[in-house]
Amino acid sequence: MRRAFDIALAAAAGLALAFLLLPLLALFVRISPDELLAALASDAALDALWVSLKTGLVAHVFVLGVGTPAAYFLATKRFRGRGALITLVELPLVLPPAVAGIALLALFSRRGLLGAELDALGVQLPLTQAAVVIAVAFVAAPFYVRQAVASFETVDPTLIDASRTLGASPARTFWRVALPLSATGLGAGSALAWARGTGEFGATIMFAGSLQGVTQTLPLAIYAQLDIDPDVAVAIGALLVLVSLTVLLSLKLLPSWTRFTSASLIRSAPSGSS
Amino acid sequence: MRLLAGLLAAALAAASCGDGDGSAGSFEGLTVFAAASLTEVFRQLAPSATFNFAGSDELATQIREGAPADVYAAASPRYPDELFAEGLIDEPRVFATNRLVLIVPADNPAGIDSLDDLAADEVKLVVGAEGVPVGDYARAALEAMDRADVLENVVSNEEDVKGVVGKVATGAADAGFVYATDASAAGDDVRAIEVPQDARTVVRYPIAVAVEAENEPQARAFVELVLGEEGQAALAEAGFGRP
Repeated sequence: MRRAFDIALAAAAGLALAFLLLPLLALFVRISPDELLAALASDAALDALWVSLKTGLVAHVFVLGVGTPAAYFLATKRFRGRGALITLVELPLVLPPAVAGIALLALFSRRGLLGAELDALGVQLPLTQAAVVIAVAFVAAPFYVRQAVASFETVDPTLIDASRTLGASPARTFWRVALPLSATGLGAGSALAWARGTGEFGATIMFAGSLQGVTQTLPLAIYAQLDIDPDVAVAIGALLVLVSLTVLLSLKLLPSWTRFTSASLIRSAPSGSS
Repeated sequence: MRLLAGLLAAALAAASCGDGDGSAGSFEGLTVFAAASLTEVFRQLAPSATFNFAGSDELATQIREGAPADVYAAASPRYPDELFAEGLIDEPRVFATNRLVLIVPADNPAGIDSLDDLAADEVKLVVGAEGVPVGDYARAALEAMDRADVLENVVSNEEDVKGVVGKVATGAADAGFVYATDASAAGDDVRAIEVPQDARTVVRYPIAVAVEAENEPQARAFVELVLGEEGQAALAEAGFGRP
């Protein structure tokens, strides 16, 4: 009886693995490595790679630059409505991407909430490369901010107090104590946000459109190439599988790495001697 | 990819549950792959059928991959002819025509009144992608008028005609080329501007039963409905032309 149960469990595990991995494997089986490389060298794939890297990088700088202090604020300040605010920040995490797309249009399009003001400034965002950056940042930021708030919250308050007692300014305490101690979590959040941003499709196609070399990111290129040159679509898909795998592996390796570096940083941090 | 087709079949079957029967009789279980521009009129003709509306080119790709289509209706003879030659569908029959128009948002922020205005700087034009019939017709029309230069103002290549309508209706784009029927279906959100017609841009809609149709009698009945009096009346009311 127990044996039968074990077999059933193993069968379920095998089924789950096959279900999750076979489709990805099929991508690599469908075309030969030579064809895959040739397809990746096509204009459509290279243009999409460039658009994805460029918009992803700009969005990521924005997410880290604004998200880190915002998360530190949310994690360390105590005020009414803080919990509600954190929940709202997390909302885009569970929001369908198409909703993000229509919401961004509702705000930024010429008929949108800010449309008249932006128009007066001569700024038109929809269907531009800036729109890709906004869409990517919108869907990716919560992944980072959520993780960053959690990481800052786990920093031992006595270390913060010690730093302040020893005469370090709040800013110096943030840079030399809170930030290094949270590095693991921030790195993980950053990687997750990057992965989500790279995969962004729904909000981008609605808000930024699809134009090769301008707004057509890698996921959009898969969609556009499917009926033009399926090999290119498959090749981009295979590339994104490898990118995702890299992100995942670095997440797994990250904790052991940062535990070492952050520990060594803290040893010198509160003394302010360096 | 066969697996993909199977999953698609399962998803479509699940999506078809719960539709009510239409006046045209029951098409429960029938799966129709149709050009996006046929969305409103086909839904009205056979509410109980399962529809997969998308760009004609995308639908052709899905059929080649083994997706379970009973009927294929496209916005251009190109893909039906290809699929017929490949032995995947019966001989296509043209059931309707359409024409290309230019649409602008109701408030027409870029002040576009004619094709010439499209060439102005900073006009945001949206068209169908290459290979998508509505995009190919738009390019052919512009070439016929010797105005291919306005294509420099294209800011997005959409995968089907409804994508173009959406971008213009929300005001994200200043103008887009769509079919006359989509312009009227979009109602007050857009304004249509006539485009000089050219032999190359007469839009023909062929329809055919898939060779491997699982619901062949229903598929034939649907094609007859579309080609028959009731179908033609509904198409005419939606603004389509006679074949």
